[in-house]
Amino acid sequence: MRPRAAHAGPVVWMGVIAATCLLLVVFRAVLWLVVPFLAALVIYYGLRPLAARLVYAGLSIETAANVVSGTFILALAVALTLLFPRLTANAVQWQESVNRYLDAGTGLLEQTLSSLEARYAVLQKVQAAASVRAQVEGLTDDFAQRHAGEFVMGLVTWLPSLLLAPFLAFFFLRDGRRFKRFLGRAVPNAYFERTLYLLHELDRTAHSYFQGLLKLTVLDAAALALGLAALGMSAPVTLGLLTAVLAWVPYVGSILGCAVVVLVAAADFPNDPAIAYGTVALFILVRMLDDFFFMPMTIGRSLRIHPMLSVVMIFVGGALAGVAGLMLVLPVLGVAMVVGETLGRVVTDPRLRARHAHARRLRSRQAALDLAG
Amino acid sequence: MFAGFMRQAETPRRWRRLAGVRIFCDLKPRELRIVDGLLHERGYIAGEVIFDEGEEGQALYIVLEGRVLICRQGDPESGRIAELGAGEFFGDLALLDDAPRAAQARALEACRLAVFFRADFMSLLDTHAAIASRVSLRLARYIGERLRGMNRKVLGAAT
Repeated sequence: MRPRAAHAGPVVWMGVIAATCLLLVVFRAVLWLVVPFLAALVIYYGLRPLAARLVYAGLSIETAANVVSGTFILALAVALTLLFPRLTANAVQWQESVNRYLDAGTGLLEQTLSSLEARYAVLQKVQAAASVRAQVEGLTDDFAQRHAGEFVMGLVTWLPSLLLAPFLAFFFLRDGRRFKRFLGRAVPNAYFERTLYLLHELDRTAHSYFQGLLKLTVLDAAALALGLAALGMSAPVTLGLLTAVLAWVPYVGSILGCAVVVLVAAADFPNDPAIAYGTVALFILVRMLDDFFFMPMTIGRSLRIHPMLSVVMIFVGGALAGVAGLMLVLPVLGVAMVVGETLGRVVTDPRLRARHAHARRLRSRQAALDLAG
Repeated sequence: MFAGFMRQAETPRRWRRLAGVRIFCDLKPRELRIVDGLLHERGYIAGEVIFDEGEEGQALYIVLEGRVLICRQGDPESGRIAELGAGEFFGDLALLDDAPRAAQARALEACRLAVFFRADFMSLLDTHAAIASRVSLRLARYIGERLRGMNRKVLGAAT
């Protein structure tokens, strides 16, 4: 009996990490394609259980994909149609709200620095409050007006490629199985079973990752909502959910989410800075829970990546490809890991290589049979 | 051109052939079409190894055309176990788990095989439980028959 395949060794792992880094650099260059593709995958793995239910109820895969995707695209179109006039009608109010929150944030910062100056003579000497106030005012003066144009331009640039996502998801749903068979046909017989297994594992990894991402969002949202409710903040669930979705971008998203909640706390409780400080403490606590418990337990575990490697690779991803790298590093590592481990097993299996060589010899001998005479 | 690039030959002829396969004989034409959508078709040349003894099994193979030899590893002459023709299947235990293959399979002549991957069978259990249960029952009966046959052989050899 032939021995069963061993686990991947250090050489394969180095290859996996190198491939992940290379892919992140490449993805950064084609972000316009990667983002809608990633969004399409999120939609696909979100809609797949619904399509599977319809198939279970007796519809064909094509009909189920048509029904589920059609309903989703229709719902999206209706939501955008309803939302767009409201957004444009309230644009002025939105600008005012942004300025109000920024003013409240500036006020909180001033208040904090003034109280620190009162306690520490060193800060009073360098007039920390005055210099920080001047810099912050320079940054926040007419912030909404100055950045509204950039925001609208960004939306116009990204909207067409993001609108591609539901259509990509539809084709994933309808033709995913055919594509798998199409790929399988290109593989020699000797490697066929392993390739089928590889494709299955890739699908399982991606499915687990996006499921893990949704679980992480729920855990983050629940922890933050509970904490914000305990602090007496208004709309804790909405704020918790918003910041949990922002946390899809590791670190940067959490800082942004924290800033949003601190600004809301400063605006809602202008005379009670303790609430704003409390939200900062809450975010640090949830951040620590997230990095060391929630993320390794959900996404890290779903990808079968060691928690330490998850944390290290998040830093590497950020250093190589910025915000995009932070977001993409774990799914890319998961896929590279599955491909690397399977290829490692195939390439290092002399029996499979020998069988493939034997089949090629047989085929070329057969092809040349009638040439001898 | 683009529409057909991922199409696989799914002919009524293949469905008819599948209807004659023992584990699919209880399925209705509509159900056969669903199973057919999960199968991969492969061509093997005479003498080509389909799988080795001891290899981790991932799929069941159905002979559509040609003949297949099941034998002891590397011993196709004296280690012959069975010869299978069109409509017969082998590697059935791989549908249940990833246990090592019990024997080697070789193409005796040029043949076409339909391959039923375990993960696809598992997904069939989720999406089409009625079809999967009929296939499972047929498979269980087939394995039971083989077990009884082996028992008879062992008892016959002992007496």
